[in-house]
Amino acid sequence: MSYAINRVTVPVSVDEEKCIADKGCTVCVDVCPLDVLAIDLAKGTAYMKFDECWYCMPCEKDCPTGAVNVDIPYLLR
Amino acid sequence: MNATMSSVLQDEELLARLNDADPGVRRIAVMDLLDEDDYDQVEPYLINALSDADASVRAQAATALEGFETTEAVETLLHALDDGEMEVGRAAAQSLAELKDPALGALLIPALEGAQGATRAAIFRALRELRVPAALEPALSSLADEDAAVRESAVGVLGYLKAEQAVLSIAGLATGDPEPSVRRIAIGALGFAQDMGQVLPAMVAALRDEHWLVREEAAATLGKLAVPAGVPNLITAMGDDYWQVRLKAARSLGRLRSAEALPALFEALFHEVSNLRKEAAVALGEIGDVRAVPFLEQAMKDPDPDVRKLAGLALSRIAQVTHS
Amino acid sequence: MNTIEMEVDVLVIGGGTAGPMAAVKAKEKNPDLRVLVLEKANVKRSGAISMGMDGLNNAVIPGHATPEQYVKEITVANDGIVNQKTVLAYAQNSFDMIQELDKWGVKFEKDETGDYAVKKVHHIGTYVLPMPEGHNMKKVLYRQLKKRRVEVTNRLVATRLLLDSNGAIAGAMAVDCRTADFYIIRTKTVILATGAAGRLGLPTSGYLFGTYENPTNAGDGYSLAYHAGAELSGIECFQINPLIKDYNGPSCAYVTGPFGGYTANAKGDRFIECDYWSGQMMMEFYRELEGGNGPVFLKMNHLAEETIAQIEEILHSNERPSRGRFHAGRGLNYRDGMVEMHISEIGLCSGHSASGVWVNEKAETTVPGLYAAGDLACVPHNYMLGAFVYGKFAGESAAEYCATHTLPPVDAGQVERERARVWGPLNVTDGLPPSQVEYKLRRMVNDYLQPPKITRKMEIGLQRFAEVGEDLGRLSASNPHELMRAMEVHFIRDCAEMAATASLYRKESRWGLYHYRADFPEKNDEDWFVHVQLKKDDQGEMTCFTRPVDPYVIPLDEEEKTAYQKLRIVKESAIA
Repeated sequence: MSYAINRVTVPVSVDEEKCIADKGCTVCVDVCPLDVLAIDLAKGTAYMKFDECWYCMPCEKDCPTGAVNVDIPYLLR
Repeated sequence: MNATMSSVLQDEELLARLNDADPGVRRIAVMDLLDEDDYDQVEPYLINALSDADASVRAQAATALEGFETTEAVETLLHALDDGEMEVGRAAAQSLAELKDPALGALLIPALEGAQGATRAAIFRALRELRVPAALEPALSSLADEDAAVRESAVGVLGYLKAEQAVLSIAGLATGDPEPSVRRIAIGALGFAQDMGQVLPAMVAALRDEHWLVREEAAATLGKLAVPAGVPNLITAMGDDYWQVRLKAARSLGRLRSAEALPALFEALFHEVSNLRKEAAVALGEIGDVRAVPFLEQAMKDPDPDVRKLAGLALSRIAQVTHS
Repeated sequence: MNTIEMEVDVLVIGGGTAGPMAAVKAKEKNPDLRVLVLEKANVKRSGAISMGMDGLNNAVIPGHATPEQYVKEITVANDGIVNQKTVLAYAQNSFDMIQELDKWGVKFEKDETGDYAVKKVHHIGTYVLPMPEGHNMKKVLYRQLKKRRVEVTNRLVATRLLLDSNGAIAGAMAVDCRTADFYIIRTKTVILATGAAGRLGLPTSGYLFGTYENPTNAGDGYSLAYHAGAELSGIECFQINPLIKDYNGPSCAYVTGPFGGYTANAKGDRFIECDYWSGQMMMEFYRELEGGNGPVFLKMNHLAEETIAQIEEILHSNERPSRGRFHAGRGLNYRDGMVEMHISEIGLCSGHSASGVWVNEKAETTVPGLYAAGDLACVPHNYMLGAFVYGKFAGESAAEYCATHTLPPVDAGQVERERARVWGPLNVTDGLPPSQVEYKLRRMVNDYLQPPKITRKMEIGLQRFAEVGEDLGRLSASNPHELMRAMEVHFIRDCAEMAATASLYRKESRWGLYHYRADFPEKNDEDWFVHVQLKKDDQGEMTCFTRPVDPYVIPLDEEEKTAYQKLRIVKESAIA
């Protein structure tokens, strides 16, 4: 069996200027009920790793610097 | 676990971050303290963080101290109310407002001494939910404070205390305060009163207040007080310009079971605002007078199904009352 | 990948609403008990109330409603099929729970003297207690867990329960969704609080995670209980809700109702008397949606500006706060347009309807040492406050059980089989991605189980679900996260099979749209005034049987019985 790669737009975006993951913050990653966010260790910022979003917003609300934005997934918009 | 063990955090990595040179790192470390298992261990570190050089760390610590109901935590937060940075004071006020242990009220009262403006208002906001009797005197003496936020929070304390000896003062504020928001809270705060002689004139005056929110609160509170002498004024309020006021008046007339109110309610049953028609139908059911039957039967043809449903319920209620 | 062994007295699976309450209450009963909350996400923001709640819609507060009134209403709303004792136990404990939550810091609306401000929505009583500042729920619960020294493990997916030789609880097994470490947790008691089976049907958007329920709630507990031999009940009474189309979140007619908002058809006319969610209401909703006057809308544009502003403030800050963002994206303003609505995909959830693990009024299931609370425990229309109350019952009952039982030994065979099953997808290099299998499975659920239910279609559905069952061995996972999704496909498939089996068994229609069978369109009280139970029999087969409805403790008169049958507005008079 072989696999194809499909591109998708993701609803959660992170402002890399504001994100303070490099200071030890993992709030958005911690609070996501679906565990779809992760920290990019090379960049020191959070990002959406899996397109499995419930647009529930704790990541945005709990972010201490207002770096996270949750949009409605494109399929629902 | 021995005493020394339980007083010191063992998490080396977290301790290092709490002392990091970068305030951003310290702030995150303060947040992470709440994930530790032993909150008795955590508390001293949070208190310590409230004297951090960086305001964002202090504000984070003030927020994190919410729910730590100890003398030390409360005193630290009280102190933080006067922090030069606004965000710290605001966070401390918010955490204090969440206090639930009435025993801590004793700490708040002396702090009122010398406290002015926002700080004083924050302490009163914290005292409201605690319902500490000792808050009565300072709250009463703050009703004439020049800061509206102080008057608002002080009268809030008195309402929650349901202190009969404060009724006259609250009533005075309800009619005389220059701020509508203060007058509204004061009127609502009278909802516990027993002595109608003192309350009724204030309610009557409030029903004629220039601000509709005050009139609405008065119309609702008269129903809660269940004072029959208020009926004529509620009937007058049924003609208020604002439907919200009329709605509460109708609701209160139902709670008062006032037959006097029938004609006004019959009229309201066919008013253009359907919310009011609904409330009138409910009230007529509560009053339970057979004279309402033909009007309610007509309301059964109302275009709004909620009105029809409630008219139906009112009719069956009147039938029950007359049979028993 | 490691195997980690743990040992506790009370294991709570699920840290959303009922779970934390159960853990706290078990600790309160006996502080020496080792209590562990095992959470698939993170207890800080997990479960159906991750963003809080905008109000209680089943608050039984003295002076506004009585427990007896409440039991009557739920009995009627659930077409008579209720174990009234369970509903009564909830109602009698409802007010105490509100007061306790209040003391913990949960904010309910009060007037200026500190008394609760209750509003009306049901037929007879007054049950709505608004929570305009209800967004702090999880923070409050988290603090209680910490204060009581309840242990918490996050990001663990429970996959099977362990039983002793007598069929009583001996433990549970779980897998870490970040490391794939395998956990064997020995325990005397398990409290299931895993929420609804919310990832059963596929939303019409086609987005796997655009569900009504929190999609983390994949029906884990239904599957765990089933494989442990517990009885489940009312599975055929599906959850189907009226929702904002595409957004798929609640429009909250019960929030807007007291303000004057209502459900209307395309002409702006009302067609149902009462917006309280019930199967009968959903049936009328479905008919209007599919009829000439459809689709259906939430109408608020007739309301005064300050009323709309207040509604926005509540709806856009609690429960599903992204609602406002969705409307903004489409340029919809409550002031000048109506909100298009639709019906949700099917799910299993006793919080809203009645499908769940069978429990008595102490939250005990039919398996010794196993308790259930919240959306997955069969106490009809229980909602959030019911989850808290049954969480409390479960915690207290489990603590009592611990006092008289020792820790059972663990059967190595059960552990070995489960570890092989759980780690299996990591060893399949050339297999099926979980997302594809899940999509197909849930699309089949829509095709064959979405009401109206049709016998032949459900039989075909069962056949398809069996075929997907064959595929499960070919699931592959390239990382621990995908492994979690693979295990969830197992749960979802179990729930699909249960939903079809129970629906086929009850040969009548009941609960409006929830169990509308096109080839048995009538309600048949003579043969089917019973609970339909489902369990795994001794041969490991799925089986259904009936349980009589216990005599009512609160009898109903004739007029009360028909209250929910008269929901549709007579056309001639609906001219608003």
